[in-house]
Amino acid sequence: MPHSSDKAAYSSSADASPQADSHSITDGIAQNKVPHAALGRPVLHAEMLSKKVTSGERTLTILDQLSLSVAAGESVAILGKSGAGKSTLLGLLAGLDTPSDGELMLFGKALSRLDEDGRAALRAGRVGFVFQNFQLLPTLSALENVLLPLELSPRAGEDHIAQTWLDKVGLGERVDHLPKQLSGGEQQRVAIARAFVTDPELVFADEPTGNLDPDTGAQVIDLLFTLNHEVGTTLILVTHDHALARRCDRCLQLTQGKLLPFVPAEPGVAGDGQ
Amino acid sequence: MSDIPWRLAARSLRRDLRSADVRALFVALVLAVAASTMIAFFLDRLERGLERQAGQMLGGDIVLEQRSPFSEELRTTLEEAGFTLSDQVGLVSMISLGDRFQPASLKAVDDVYPHYGVSRVDLGEGAEQIASGPPAGEAWADPRLAQLIEIELGDRVKVGRAELTISGIIEREADQSAGFSNFNPRLMLNTADLEATGLVQEGSRVEFELLAAGPPQALDTVQGLLNELRQQGVEVRDVRVDRPQLGNALQRADSYLGLAGLAAVLLAGVAVAMSAKRYVERHLDTAALLRCFGASQQQLVMLFSLQLIGLALAASLLGALLGVAGQALLLHLLASFLPITLPPPGIMPLWLGVLTAMAVLVGFAGPTLLRIKQVSALKVLRRELDPLPPAAWWVAGVAATVFGGLLWLYSGSVPLAVALLLGGGIMLSALWGISALLLNGILHGIKKLTGTSEWMQALRLGGRQLARRRQAGVGQLLAFSVTFFAMAMIVLVRGDLLSTWQAQLPDDMPNYFAINIQPDERDPFEQAVAPRIDIQSTLYPMVRGRITAINQQPPMEAVPEDARGDGSLRRELNLTWQAELPEDNQIVAGEWFSSEAPVDELPVDKPQGWLGAVDAIPAATVPVSIEEGLADRLGLSLNDTLTFTVGGDELITRITSVRSLNWDTFKPNFFLIFPPGVLESFGHSYITAFHLPDEEQGLIRQLVSDFPSVSLINVDAILGQVRDVLTQVTRAIELVLVLVLLAGVSVLYAALTASQPVRAHESGLLRVFGAGQRMISHVQGAEYALLGFTSGLMGAVLAEVATAALYLYWLELPPRFHLTLWLALPLGGALLIGFIGHALSRGLRRQAPAASLGLLGEA
Repeated sequence: MPHSSDKAAYSSSADASPQADSHSITDGIAQNKVPHAALGRPVLHAEMLSKKVTSGERTLTILDQLSLSVAAGESVAILGKSGAGKSTLLGLLAGLDTPSDGELMLFGKALSRLDEDGRAALRAGRVGFVFQNFQLLPTLSALENVLLPLELSPRAGEDHIAQTWLDKVGLGERVDHLPKQLSGGEQQRVAIARAFVTDPELVFADEPTGNLDPDTGAQVIDLLFTLNHEVGTTLILVTHDHALARRCDRCLQLTQGKLLPFVPAEPGVAGDGQ
Repeated sequence: MSDIPWRLAARSLRRDLRSADVRALFVALVLAVAASTMIAFFLDRLERGLERQAGQMLGGDIVLEQRSPFSEELRTTLEEAGFTLSDQVGLVSMISLGDRFQPASLKAVDDVYPHYGVSRVDLGEGAEQIASGPPAGEAWADPRLAQLIEIELGDRVKVGRAELTISGIIEREADQSAGFSNFNPRLMLNTADLEATGLVQEGSRVEFELLAAGPPQALDTVQGLLNELRQQGVEVRDVRVDRPQLGNALQRADSYLGLAGLAAVLLAGVAVAMSAKRYVERHLDTAALLRCFGASQQQLVMLFSLQLIGLALAASLLGALLGVAGQALLLHLLASFLPITLPPPGIMPLWLGVLTAMAVLVGFAGPTLLRIKQVSALKVLRRELDPLPPAAWWVAGVAATVFGGLLWLYSGSVPLAVALLLGGGIMLSALWGISALLLNGILHGIKKLTGTSEWMQALRLGGRQLARRRQAGVGQLLAFSVTFFAMAMIVLVRGDLLSTWQAQLPDDMPNYFAINIQPDERDPFEQAVAPRIDIQSTLYPMVRGRITAINQQPPMEAVPEDARGDGSLRRELNLTWQAELPEDNQIVAGEWFSSEAPVDELPVDKPQGWLGAVDAIPAATVPVSIEEGLADRLGLSLNDTLTFTVGGDELITRITSVRSLNWDTFKPNFFLIFPPGVLESFGHSYITAFHLPDEEQGLIRQLVSDFPSVSLINVDAILGQVRDVLTQVTRAIELVLVLVLLAGVSVLYAALTASQPVRAHESGLLRVFGAGQRMISHVQGAEYALLGFTSGLMGAVLAEVATAALYLYWLELPPRFHLTLWLALPLGGALLIGFIGHALSRGLRRQAPAASLGLLGEA
């Protein structure tokens, strides 16, 4: 469950936005900034981030000068329709891709000053990922999949950590199973163990329930937030699942390349909640 | 962060061994290493075996011969270099038993004799193998001598002033080579008795031989000394230069095996390239994920390189083991020909195997592997973000360079490597274009098929599938073409090599030589022999003569320094005369004697012919034809003059032609041929060779009694040995052939496994759209068969061109056209690829469509 104090902090932040101007994206996002004093230093800070794609003579703006700051320990949900650019944004925030314009600071370092390898090195051991399609390597066992990021981190060789995490996600008895021998929910639990195994400061989750049935999805989400709570990791979650988004400290919606504050609908309530 | 992800690499590799592409890669590497090490090991040991055999025929690794005893200083030097020495003395002397006299060729041997091999001697209880010479006081006679003066074991023969007891009849000497320079029958005695005979005196014609046996290193260390000795006029025979007669055939076998090894390596390379492509494609997701988790490009390359190097090392080890086992099998096949104790296999071929595996991996998979480095971490979110495959020219260029290096390593010839590589490159580029055109043509033709039968439908659908994957299709087409080409070439060359050998050794090859036929015996001998045999070579007249000057200079000064000890300068040569160029001889420089001698210029009282001309015109000289090898050794060319002493007279000759001839024919061959009209007046005898059928063996007894002075030499044993060697080398070649074919199959396997996921997807889709298993099976069969047919056609073009080039420039065989190739390869290709591909896809067709579609990972 999310921290109640975090939730309060988010609410207070949302409430304290008297100068809200829906035409000014920058200002709009600025309203949503979480007070850093309450949550700690920002883990991630994006300033005027744009992503444009040129196709023939047409230039398509996917992300349009958006800014975002995420504090340590905060959980942020980014909602959006299919094709809104959620994955593009996640890619940029994680340093997997480079923006067309703007600057992004991850763990206090400007990503624009780092090359691809530098960005990778920054992620190693500090960033965890949970994907919609699990992205488990089919030839590696559950344990080996969890070991994968550990091998690339400063804690390489401490294999018992992987076992501990598999125990935590309830798969301590399935360590030798290959992904294809596990159900979808179990595969995602392995992926969650893998995301947390390096004790990361930041976890990105891309539609973590997208490939799961509602019940299994709910279980996986419970697990994700429980672990997040235990570890105190910062979580950035991309989803179109309002129920999932509601469990985050803060919700933002990506529409037409812009990031806007957003209140997810309660169960049974129609509308987009804005 | 650990710099090198060793553990991860090991773990991934262990898991990866389950996947088809890694297994194909592994099998291909194992085959490449097995083929290359097996052949390298085998050739290495064969080489050493041949050296040993040559040593046995020579009597030692080095044989020195001169007219005076060898100095102690030389002996010490050789012994210090690691040689064991043995002395022999050879001379011709009259021996007698009672009132019967016979000139004999005496060979005195010491107690070290023989260095290698054994003699076959009948000591009274049938022939047995004996590894020594006769003890002091005793002598062994050869059967001819025994027959001529009716020797029985225990008889005491007079040799010079000494009397020796004949204790054995020597049937074969341990160090007897197949030369006929010695026409007198043999008496072997011990050097300890030489002094008592009183035959070795100042001025007597005695040949002193020093035979040295030692390890190859010893031979290396004394090369300088040997050159000095040659310059001093010592005849030096060296195992590495003076090879037995089989040299030619084995040289070709050696070339063939090298070629087959390369073909196997090339095929394995193609398989590696195809497997690597699939391997990389399969690991792009892994790479992206690792990038996402923070791996650097270098770490990724290291990770996958480590895995592949691990794979290559394991493959090298297994391949090398198979190679060692294979060469043991090859040696077993050749056991009866090779000396019993061959030196153990060296470590070098093993390194060669590992080097080959690594080179094949780097060359054929390297550029593809680097694609992993380019993978974007963003691929974890957007699957379609695959890095571009490397450019074809870059992949082909690196592979060609590495293969060129291997060619150089294996053939030892840079020009050959470059020529093969350039030729291959040009042909591949041409093929790339032709294959695209050919594929287009075939697909165009298929579109016009209008039948409604299931097979017609399958052919149309299969053709369309091939058309849809044009680029991949051309790639596969090329790979299969190269595969069929390499397989066909090895089969073709094998067939032609064997039939050439067969032609060289026909069943009616001469098996008897008759020498010392006196002029008055010539016609009666021919009349006695002709009706009872099938084939007889010409009766060649033979005159003994010695070269006494070259271009008016003493021979020792006129020839290159290292030829001063050449036997041709130190012994009498067999000279003959012929009006026509002998069969099997070819003029390589100058012209054969014109039929008209300059008789017009002769005074009437002078003898006719060239001799008369020489006497009449002092400036004129007798034309002579010289054998190419001798001319090369002595540094002679057209218009050089050679002065001969024949029976006390001096003859000045001028070289007017140079001939090449085949020494492997078992027919009389001559270094020097004169025109008719020069040598007739000198004392001469005739030599001939004939094939005596088994049922006519009685003729020999008749000839021996009717022509007692004629020496009959049976070469059946030598011929049998040659045939044995060829049979066994053939078996070795067939074993290697199997290996090459296996490598070819590994390519097919690799190529077909690489395309499995795509085909699984296609068959899944076809199933969804309502096609039955039978229909899909036909469509896939048709697609594979079309691919096989086209590849076979291209393979035939390649193989025909390449074998022609190989025959001309490497194997020295005449090129031929192979009609069956043009039929067998396309049809065989269609059947083979159709069958294998169809069989491999069987499992896929049985899969539920959902599973097939899931194979591409659209989860």
